[in-house]
Amino acid sequence: MERFQYTRARTVPEAIGIAAQSTTAQQSAPIRFVAGGTTLVDLMKLDVERPTRLVDINHLGLNAIERTADGGLKVGALVRNSALAQDPAVMRDYRVLSEALLSGASAQLRNVATTSGNLLQRTRCMYFRNTAMACNKREPGSGCSAIGGENRTLAILGTSSQCIATNPSDMNVALAALEATVHLQGTKGTRAIAFQDFHLLPGDTPNRETVLEPGDLVTHVTLPPPRSGTTSRYLKLRDRASYEFALASAAVVVEVAGGRFRYVRLAMGGIGTKPWRMTAAEQALTGAPVDEATIRQAATLALRDARPQSQNGFKVELATRCLAHALRLATGMASV
Amino acid sequence: MSVVGTSVARKDGIGKATGAAKYADDLSIPGMLFGRTVRSTIPCGRVKRIRYDFDTTGFTIVDRRDIPLDGRNVVALIEDDQPFLVERDVRHVAEPIVLLAHADREKLLAADVIIEYEVEPPVFDPEASTESLKTLTIDKGHLDAGFAQADVIVEGTYRTGHQEHVYIEPNGVIAVPEDGGIAIFGSIQCPFYVVKALKSLLGPKAHVRVVQTETGGGFGGKEEYPSMIAGHATLLALKAGLPVKIVYDRTEDMIATTKRHPSIVRHRTGVKRDGTLVAMDVEVILDGGAYITLSPVVLSRGCIHAAGPYRCDNVRIRGRAMLTNTPPNGAFRGFGAPQTIFAIEAHMDRIAEALGVDPVTIRERNALVPGDTTATGQRLTADCSALPVLREAVERTDFRRKREALRGTNRGIGLSLFYHGSGFTGSGELRLASKAALELTDHGVRILVSSTEIGQGTRTMHAQIVAETLGIPYEDVDVAQPDTTLVPDSGPTVASRTCMVVGRILQRCAEDLKRRLGDLTPAEYYRAHGPFTIVREHEPPGWIQWDDETYTGDAYATYAWGCDVVEVELDADTCEVRPLHLTAVQEVGKAIHPALARGQIEGGSAQGIGYAIVEHVAMRDGVMANASLTNYTIPTTLDTPAMDIVLLENPYEDGPFGAKGLGELPMDGPAPAVINALRHLGVDLSEIPATPERVMSACGSR
Ligand SMILES: Cc1cc2nc3c(=O)[nH]c(=O)nc-3n(C[C@H](O)[C@H](O)[C@H](O)COP(=O)(O)OP(=O)(O)OC[C@H]3O[C@@H](n4cnc5c(N)ncnc54)[C@H](O)[C@@H]3O)c2cc1C
Repeated sequence: MERFQYTRARTVPEAIGIAAQSTTAQQSAPIRFVAGGTTLVDLMKLDVERPTRLVDINHLGLNAIERTADGGLKVGALVRNSALAQDPAVMRDYRVLSEALLSGASAQLRNVATTSGNLLQRTRCMYFRNTAMACNKREPGSGCSAIGGENRTLAILGTSSQCIATNPSDMNVALAALEATVHLQGTKGTRAIAFQDFHLLPGDTPNRETVLEPGDLVTHVTLPPPRSGTTSRYLKLRDRASYEFALASAAVVVEVAGGRFRYVRLAMGGIGTKPWRMTAAEQALTGAPVDEATIRQAATLALRDARPQSQNGFKVELATRCLAHALRLATGMASV
Repeated sequence: MSVVGTSVARKDGIGKATGAAKYADDLSIPGMLFGRTVRSTIPCGRVKRIRYDFDTTGFTIVDRRDIPLDGRNVVALIEDDQPFLVERDVRHVAEPIVLLAHADREKLLAADVIIEYEVEPPVFDPEASTESLKTLTIDKGHLDAGFAQADVIVEGTYRTGHQEHVYIEPNGVIAVPEDGGIAIFGSIQCPFYVVKALKSLLGPKAHVRVVQTETGGGFGGKEEYPSMIAGHATLLALKAGLPVKIVYDRTEDMIATTKRHPSIVRHRTGVKRDGTLVAMDVEVILDGGAYITLSPVVLSRGCIHAAGPYRCDNVRIRGRAMLTNTPPNGAFRGFGAPQTIFAIEAHMDRIAEALGVDPVTIRERNALVPGDTTATGQRLTADCSALPVLREAVERTDFRRKREALRGTNRGIGLSLFYHGSGFTGSGELRLASKAALELTDHGVRILVSSTEIGQGTRTMHAQIVAETLGIPYEDVDVAQPDTTLVPDSGPTVASRTCMVVGRILQRCAEDLKRRLGDLTPAEYYRAHGPFTIVREHEPPGWIQWDDETYTGDAYATYAWGCDVVEVELDADTCEVRPLHLTAVQEVGKAIHPALARGQIEGGSAQGIGYAIVEHVAMRDGVMANASLTNYTIPTTLDTPAMDIVLLENPYEDGPFGAKGLGELPMDGPAPAVINALRHLGVDLSEIPATPERVMSACGSR
């Protein structure tokens, strides 16, 4: 770990002012916000991240969960994962989010990990985390060791010739299905970004992971008002029963009426370079009868564009089954 | 009150629970520097040039030229082939080339050493390797004659991968210059192995003292490797004239240190229609890695166990450990037996299937009973418990009925029958000539042994044996910290020998002492006559006959026996294998401390479940690519099935209170039981770990 300067920011403008001196807001930026630190400090110990200055944002009063005027929910950036997962409104109206959060990490980690930190957590690709290996995300231009390497756990959607790392977050998958909005404050004021537009595809610049600009602070995330009559579920498949990232996961929000899907939002994790919305499957399901054949067809369609690597071909089938089963759970066709 | 057979408080319990116990990295010595190992980044080739691309002020730099004139650049173990520091040839990734020390860890880590190589093509496939580290053959009866009697011949090939120990505390030592020589404090299983290696490094006359600090697990992973790291710290400390600490982080520990040998085992078995085994032809191939280290003995134990706990008159077992350009594989709980027992036990279920009998029947028909001989020709006596453990496990789990009841569901049930030889192989214990001592103190006695407490309960169990024999309270027995200048060489803490062998020597010491004390307590005797120490040497039973050339005779003084039954559930959507329940019936002679004995079985079984289902070392270009706890998956509590542990006791007449070795036994059973449970579900796998991808492709055959 390298030496760094530590500043405890007292106000939002102060935090933004310091961070705005940075040339980039992306990874490898020399000035960084630290929330729970469970991603950042870990990567600093591995020398994967080497910031020279940390701005502590834990004391800015960004830790409230509030109702919005339209009946939705406003979640402060510093709300801890466990607090969000156990919030009564979240458990009642946004079950998928609660389930996603509780399926991640461990109880101890969830007690310190925050909403914005989770939103911005980095990939678990073993090459990204090992400074002895080439990685375009860590060191642009150095190459991708994962392509043709150990890529069993990596992405099958949204990959590029430069990077095939997955976005590891469970929370993000739920937020994608819930069509959340990410709120930023920067030197030029505030911005609201639709969840789908917040994370970027790797393309030729896998080091750019989000739309954040220097100084941009995530202040909160909002959820639209819950639709009455919807059910939402999160299903996560992984190599062991706890303390493990997803090989494939699915967040589904559905409303069923008269034996047909009336409203469907689907997102998947563990398989995409960013949290992945399954829009084609959503369309295919909307209006269709709730039965095994429809579900299976839609799930197959969802993975139509999957491009597996040398070792992760199994993920196509696994993800298909994962999505299908999540739909069965949400529609009551299966109970476990 | 009897102490042996009760679960008394652990000697190390309070210290560990309160945090008072000191591990290597907790120690700091004034003036201490930190050491770092600069390692090869290629699997095969030669070092051409080394360049120091940093300001070297304040650094201590060591390379092969710093080995003392009286010393040798070899980590002395079985063969002298592995250097402490690369001379010129590089045989694997992560091979140590240069050592650096500095007072400031950040400067130390930032120092850039540039090494240029001449690269040569590596060999990673043990079957493609032309260089064997050891070969051996066990021959019994006449194979051809055996096959001539067979009604059915069953063949199979079984594969196992690397396994990483994942002890909680990584390898680490501190070297302190002392009396013109060196003192080592570290996380070590076998202090006298380190003494031997350092005497080879520094010259036979050098002063060497090795002290084991509190150790956070070993599982074999701290058997041979500490010699290497202690050698490195020593070279730096002697050059700097200051103490040097080297503690690996998890990644370095996983990349550079030993793992379980991957294996390929081929079986060709002749069997009569009634199930009788008449010929067993077994080929065992181990991937040894780049140096010999312990491969010959791992191969030896693996081969001796390769025919399983079965009676067969005609057996041939051919083994070879092959050189590949990967870091040397080494000792790991079970020492070759988990690999070969996996193969034979998976194979037995295939034989049963070929004959149309159930897995219990085939084993009942062939299981060794007293009077039978093993593959090496050892005649078993009354302490052979193959049938008792099998019957207990079958009855307890209602195995046959359950197997029928589960048919057609997504659950399967399988079993494995196994044994594990206690102590060193053949004449090994005689050669070791281990010693133990008891010393009077002002309030009782102190045990002096080099056996190490690495979490398994050595101190507690030894103290129980001594207290019971002397008839004094357990609390009056102390156990000295292993310091090689103060304790005798009791042999290494390996091979399930610490209770059975070292415990027995201590029992003899205590018997002598008891005679000497007469009617006095140790404290009274001490006050009347002053300090007094008894030293005894191991006396292996006289009947042991072993021939290292022909691999015939009494391979082990005794065996512990086990039968595991595992019930699994197969997730139809994900092909995940979920172990639901494990019953482990294990016959250990005598459980000196029942809670610790069960702990060994629970822990070993969990490790075996991990080996069977989730633990996968991704070796890529000769290096572990998933060298972190994020990417190398071991089971969590939720992945570990509910366990029913049953201890059976059939005393070994020369063990302390009848005790046999038990540390490794539980590692042997779970993997084949899991694979056999999958076979019951119609999934034909012959390789572990049974990852969902492997299960999924095998499901195609359903
Ligand atoms: C062992 C382990 C297992 C895990 N398992 C899982 C799992 O199964 N599933 C899962 O989803 N996650 C898992 N995680 C990841 C965990 O969820 C994240 O580490 C955590 O959510 C990050 O939150 P944090 O507050 O600690 O972030 P930090 O480490 O503080 O920050 C992460 C990043 O976000 C930036 N940042 C933080 N807040 C802001 C802000 N307000 N504005 C702008 N930038 C900001 C930081 O600069 C940094 O780059 C695991 C982590 C560990 C260590």
